[in-house]
Amino acid sequence: MATRASRSGSAAGSDAVFRQREKARDADHVGFLKHKTYRYLWLALILAGLCTVGYLTIEQEPRPNGGSWYGYTLGTIGLGLIVWLSLLGIRKRRPSPGYWSLKGWTSAHVYLGLSLIVIGTLHTGFQFGWNVHTLAYALMILVIVSGLYGIWAYAHFPAKLSSNRGEMTRTQMVEALEAIDRQLDSAAQPLDRTQSDAVIAALRQDIFFGGAWGRLTGTYPGCATKAAIAAIDRANGDEATQKVHKLLLRRADQLGQIRRYLRIRALIEIWLFIHIPATIALLAALLAHVVSVFYYW
Amino acid sequence: MKGDKRLAILIRTIDTTASGREIVREREVPAASVTVGRASENDIHLADLAVEQRHIRISQEGDGQVQVEALGTLGFALDGRSVTSGTIDAQTGGEIELGSSRLTIASEPSGTLSITIKQGAEKGAKVDTVAGFALASALPSKRAMAWAMSLAILILLLSVPIFTHMTRDTSVEGDGPDAVRINQVSFDSTWSSGELSLAHHDLKDNCEACHAEPFVSVQDETCLTCHEELGEHAAQPRLMKGMAPIPAGEAWQWAVAETLGKEGPGSCTSCHLEHEGKVRQQAATQQFCADCHDALDSRLTDVAFGNADNFGNKHPQFRPTFYSAYGQDEPVRVSLDETIVEKSGLVFPHNVHMAQNGGVARMAISLSDYDGPLDCADCHTLTEDEVGFEPVEMEPACEACHSLVAGRDGAGGFVSLRHGDVDDLMEDLATMGTGPKRAVVSGRSRPGRFAQGGTYAINFGRPAASLIAINRALLPGGTCGDCHIPTRTNGRPDLIPVNLPDRYLQHGFFSHKAHEEEDCTDCHAADTSKVATDLLLPDLESCQDCHIGEVLQEAGMKTLVKDDEVPSTCAMCHGYHTPTAPWPGDHPILQSTPESERGPMQDSIASISAMLKPAD
Repeated sequence: MATRASRSGSAAGSDAVFRQREKARDADHVGFLKHKTYRYLWLALILAGLCTVGYLTIEQEPRPNGGSWYGYTLGTIGLGLIVWLSLLGIRKRRPSPGYWSLKGWTSAHVYLGLSLIVIGTLHTGFQFGWNVHTLAYALMILVIVSGLYGIWAYAHFPAKLSSNRGEMTRTQMVEALEAIDRQLDSAAQPLDRTQSDAVIAALRQDIFFGGAWGRLTGTYPGCATKAAIAAIDRANGDEATQKVHKLLLRRADQLGQIRRYLRIRALIEIWLFIHIPATIALLAALLAHVVSVFYYW
Repeated sequence: MKGDKRLAILIRTIDTTASGREIVREREVPAASVTVGRASENDIHLADLAVEQRHIRISQEGDGQVQVEALGTLGFALDGRSVTSGTIDAQTGGEIELGSSRLTIASEPSGTLSITIKQGAEKGAKVDTVAGFALASALPSKRAMAWAMSLAILILLLSVPIFTHMTRDTSVEGDGPDAVRINQVSFDSTWSSGELSLAHHDLKDNCEACHAEPFVSVQDETCLTCHEELGEHAAQPRLMKGMAPIPAGEAWQWAVAETLGKEGPGSCTSCHLEHEGKVRQQAATQQFCADCHDALDSRLTDVAFGNADNFGNKHPQFRPTFYSAYGQDEPVRVSLDETIVEKSGLVFPHNVHMAQNGGVARMAISLSDYDGPLDCADCHTLTEDEVGFEPVEMEPACEACHSLVAGRDGAGGFVSLRHGDVDDLMEDLATMGTGPKRAVVSGRSRPGRFAQGGTYAINFGRPAASLIAINRALLPGGTCGDCHIPTRTNGRPDLIPVNLPDRYLQHGFFSHKAHEEEDCTDCHAADTSKVATDLLLPDLESCQDCHIGEVLQEAGMKTLVKDDEVPSTCAMCHGYHTPTAPWPGDHPILQSTPESERGPMQDSIASISAMLKPAD
């Protein structure tokens, strides 16, 4: 801050410039959730509130339905919101196309997206079935829930990620494992066939073995290192066997750190693998929903 | 020298540096054979865990052949095939694979056997380790998943139904509900926004039966292919003229809907919403009727009936249909507020027949057919559905007392005059004189074919005494005159024809079964009626003793209805489309009709109205 102040000169106006810059800097630090003092949260609450009041006061015979005039109104609002919200994916790829800051856009994306829970549910009139209409609704809820999870994950996991790494970069973690592997390879030379095979299996197994499910849950039932530790009988073994066993335990440790990293990383990233494909599927389902309704009008 | 050379083996090791440069080292082993293995005492030591401690021996044979054999149970690959022993021609050469190493056997130009060892590429090499940390390396790409899901939805749930709908065979054979074909369009059940009502539930797999044209709302024409018998409530455009003005907001909605192809406020679908669940169609509310009928005369000035909006306090007097003059061709419809004289052509004092004392009562008591003085049910029989009454027929109802027996037949039985047609009666009266006569008893019989029963027998006896005044039957005071009004047609004695309508109230539905707790005389003043010209229908006021208008009641509210009051919507007595007419015989059985109630009962609007009524 001091640097900034001195850089901006000692003229009479320097104070004002400083304050202005400070303000701009603070603005940079306001997250998208608090953007413009929750402007879009209020907008979303008002929108959802109005829709709810309308739903409760407007008589719909014989029962609330997406096909009543109020249902069509809610559906139109919902459709417009969904299409617009999904345009965030395009907006964020274009640096600065106009007034709307990306942060403002994201803030609106989050809050208006949440308001869709209310608008979409009221549009259904609480009628659900095994049909394309409820499919679209289910996809919408999946998109919203995955987005909510994403916000939570982004706030919750990064700290864990860095504490797990313990000052190690990803490359360093892999290199540490490779160092252990080299030692294992030479230490295992005197071992007999079955034990050698167990060590080979451990060394050859991809460090990222386990697939998405393994990463997310942290369970690796097919882990060859674990199998090798079990296969090599430390108690009855000679010196070489003992050494290999010890090295395998070290390998498992290092692998454990990598896998914890993978798990946290996967838990941070998984929402996008649901949010994005489900959004595109939702747009397809909405097209089918709207076309089918008017095709069988 | 040559022999020495043959007994040496050149071992050439090729290592590759990280930058890809090859380092070649050569050494010569002065032996006829070498061993290869992981153990360091081998001639060729491969620090590879996949290799056995002592894995193979490579030995030179005399004739330029090289013998390779496994020293343990584990084999090796010789020129790509897994073997435990094999022979290589040194001149042509061969390749042995052990773990990740390749041993190439060849004969050097000098004639020495050489073994070139090259480390194979590391299996499962970490190509891009850092990228592997991203979840993307363990999942299909987002783009691929998005495409797969979207295409599945667009094909299965959009394209297939549209394609099969557009290419379906639309020709229909037969008529009515049986003519529709099932499942012509595929996957369109995924378009259904809710279950069909019970009446239409059989069409649930046959969307195209109603949704015939793409992007065209369900048309009245389509409904009428099955419901062609349904009458219009009133003819268009009179119906629209009679309707209450549509509020501006609703009119705007209709303008939008009509732009999008809806048929407007008079169409079938404007009232009959579908896909609202597997329920019975709800009867219209009182308000639905009152919207138009509470001030109908202000829009249709020529209507014959009064306004109505609530049976309890605003409903016109009943206007029964009956014959007001003898021999009338068409019945008249007159309000019960007028003076009613029904000219049915019958003479029948109800009070005489229903009196507990007197001649009729005594006669009934004396006859075994009756268990006491007459009551209504002795003459009036409920129809099968217990809604109305069968027409009263003379023979079972009256003839037990009002006998038409005119004489005896030869076998000792009775001969009756035929009832129902004056011509028949005249014929019977004319033959009365030539009917069987009692035989003349003289103590002597005529012989042969002149005897009684013979071809030429003649009975000279007197005619039997007539039990009724034959010659005066049709005259005033005669037998027929007990019930009929004598007249003369073309100078000949005749009777006024009986003219009774099938139903008195033709525009409303009334169930006698629903009123079985009541005595007949509570509503019909038969016990005091002295003449048949009385029309014994109860008037509006007497119905209003119990029936009040619809009572809208919120759940949980204290009931507003007294014990002796029956909240009654318009639909309790009136149908919208065809007031109280029976259904055509081929009408499909309603899904909503319980098995036990199927039969004649379900064939009338009355029964449908009954079913539509909310359960108590």
